[in-house]
Amino acid sequence: MYGIFRECWVTLRQYFGGYGEPADNFRAYLYIVLLLAAAVYITARERNAAKKLLLGIAPIVIVLGFLFPVTRWAYVSKIDPPMGETYYRILWLIPMYVVIAYAVCLLISRVKRYRFKTVIAVATVLVIALSGSLVYVNQYMTRAENMYHIPQYAINICDAIKPADGEERVTAAFPTELTYFVRQYTTDINMPFGRDYTDWTENNYYHAVYDAMEKPEVINADELIAATRDPEGNGNTAVSCKYIVLKEDRKIDKDLTSLGLKLVGTIDGYNIYEDPEVE
Amino acid sequence: MLQVLWSVVRLIFWMVAVPFFIGQLFNFILPVDKKRRSFGITYLLGLLIYFALFDIIALPCMILIKYSAFKCCTRIYGVISVLLAVLGACKHFGVLFTKEKEPSRKVTLDYIEDFKSFKTETKIYFGIFIALVLLQMVMSLVYAPFDGDDAFYVVQSLQAQQADVMNTINPYLGRSQLLSAEYRHALAVIIMWIAFIAKASGVHATILSHSVMPVFVIPLVYFVYYEIAKVLFKDKENSTGKKELLPVFMIFITLLIMFGNVSINTPATFLLMRTWQGKTIFCNLILPMMLWIFLLMFEDAKKVGEVSGGLKETTRVAAPWWIMLTLANILSCMCTMLGAGIGAGFAALLTLALLIVTKRKSVILGLCISVIPNIVYVGLFLMLKKGWLHTIFN
Repeated sequence: MYGIFRECWVTLRQYFGGYGEPADNFRAYLYIVLLLAAAVYITARERNAAKKLLLGIAPIVIVLGFLFPVTRWAYVSKIDPPMGETYYRILWLIPMYVVIAYAVCLLISRVKRYRFKTVIAVATVLVIALSGSLVYVNQYMTRAENMYHIPQYAINICDAIKPADGEERVTAAFPTELTYFVRQYTTDINMPFGRDYTDWTENNYYHAVYDAMEKPEVINADELIAATRDPEGNGNTAVSCKYIVLKEDRKIDKDLTSLGLKLVGTIDGYNIYEDPEVE
Repeated sequence: MLQVLWSVVRLIFWMVAVPFFIGQLFNFILPVDKKRRSFGITYLLGLLIYFALFDIIALPCMILIKYSAFKCCTRIYGVISVLLAVLGACKHFGVLFTKEKEPSRKVTLDYIEDFKSFKTETKIYFGIFIALVLLQMVMSLVYAPFDGDDAFYVVQSLQAQQADVMNTINPYLGRSQLLSAEYRHALAVIIMWIAFIAKASGVHATILSHSVMPVFVIPLVYFVYYEIAKVLFKDKENSTGKKELLPVFMIFITLLIMFGNVSINTPATFLLMRTWQGKTIFCNLILPMMLWIFLLMFEDAKKVGEVSGGLKETTRVAAPWWIMLTLANILSCMCTMLGAGIGAGFAALLTLALLIVTKRKSVILGLCISVIPNIVYVGLFLMLKKGWLHTIFN
């Protein structure tokens, strides 16, 4: 039971950003203390029973319930087996922002002098900024290049190979970094592998094209072409790749054009090869 | 340029006008109190009905129709929605149901009157709050957050728009698949609703998800927080004054959300980085909405207790918020499968608090009725999981 409790505690800490680094852990603990202090303050000071229950007692009960090993055991065994990766979502039930903001407002309302009210408000803004993290500066945020909010190079490459209106869909093999975006731009391009392979590599699924194109440091061109022409290894040509897209500096033992493929063009640092043998 | 403008007009029609007028048609559900039939609450009610209607139409279409399921779904949903909206517009403009002529327009003016009555200082606080919300909306257009899940959700919407399918093509590869392979995600039909809006407005589903949905969802989320604040600061007029504290509270909320990226799992991160996903709508819109609904129930508890005239009269006073809760529960099921379970759990927890305070056992009945959609969804999910419905589902 103690082991499960520790897991719950780590999940709680990680939810608030404490992934192990001492500074991150400190900030996470600060946030947890801030939230619990706000809930306790509301419980102690709020006169209205409903607000006291919903914003004071309920958040504390939810946190305690979250840390209770039986809750996690039930969640992992019944709702999200086998690992309970989404267990943190129980914490969504805490109206965190309302609790913190309301506690501060409650404090402000109890202070008589205007100057102190201002000091509390300014201090709160500082605590929010210092204990939190501005969403716009995180590593997954980039400047939008278009209204699709996908990289422009992905759009340019898709435009070069997508079929004209009324024509059959084409299948194309893309490097991992492009697989996320291709089908968000057009569903007229199919792929031999997508995020189902690239994001869950720890499962070590086998896929002929992915294994030939993404796994080796230096691509074996013969193996790659054999895989893209027959991805399933059963002669099903419906899934053969008409195009192969490779980064210009991707290491490969032979030039694909020497094996019969046509270089359609180079767009934004990616070579696009067309296989004339695939219809 | 003209085409873009035409798409914007259609977006406003399907995302603002239609739900608002549906809300107008059904705002008899809301309490008679003018403040409770405001423009915003009417819109919110209409939106919840609009979503619930989609859920009721989309699920059978998806399960029972093998080819062009989405085309059928959009036609039925589009026709019924427009019909309801037209009736709502007739009611709004006094052509039909003239007994309650122009209530929403009067309430709209109330908002403006409220604002006019604020002190200059309060107006400045409100200005800061509105500026922060606008900043978040603009940033959602300027920045493009990366999220791997989009390769699934956004592509499912795009496939529905472009190929008229409902979850029967593998979004990663583009190859046909059985619906039963994706039943867990398929039951969360919010991605199909996005596809409907995309198709009806002629906007690419990816543009709609990444550029339009944030502009739609972010103000909606803050509107719910604003309604929560209105309830929270109602009885503080004798201390520092409700009107002063309310915008300060809202400023704190906006800042907590902007600086809420402490991990990838917080509601703030979901709201500002993956606004268009069902999980986001669940944790940022529905859960606060449920809190707001329960705050109103607590507020009305005294009124319900004072009602004389039996069950019918009590129901008339208590029912509006339970109906809203039921609609919110339908939306939570539509957004994420987990929402069906967690949403019901949250409603149960808040009902327990309501029971403790009001000591009225009838609230348990209200809860039981409001979680029927959740029970149906969980039942459907379990039957699919056990393979009992696969013959129909395929």
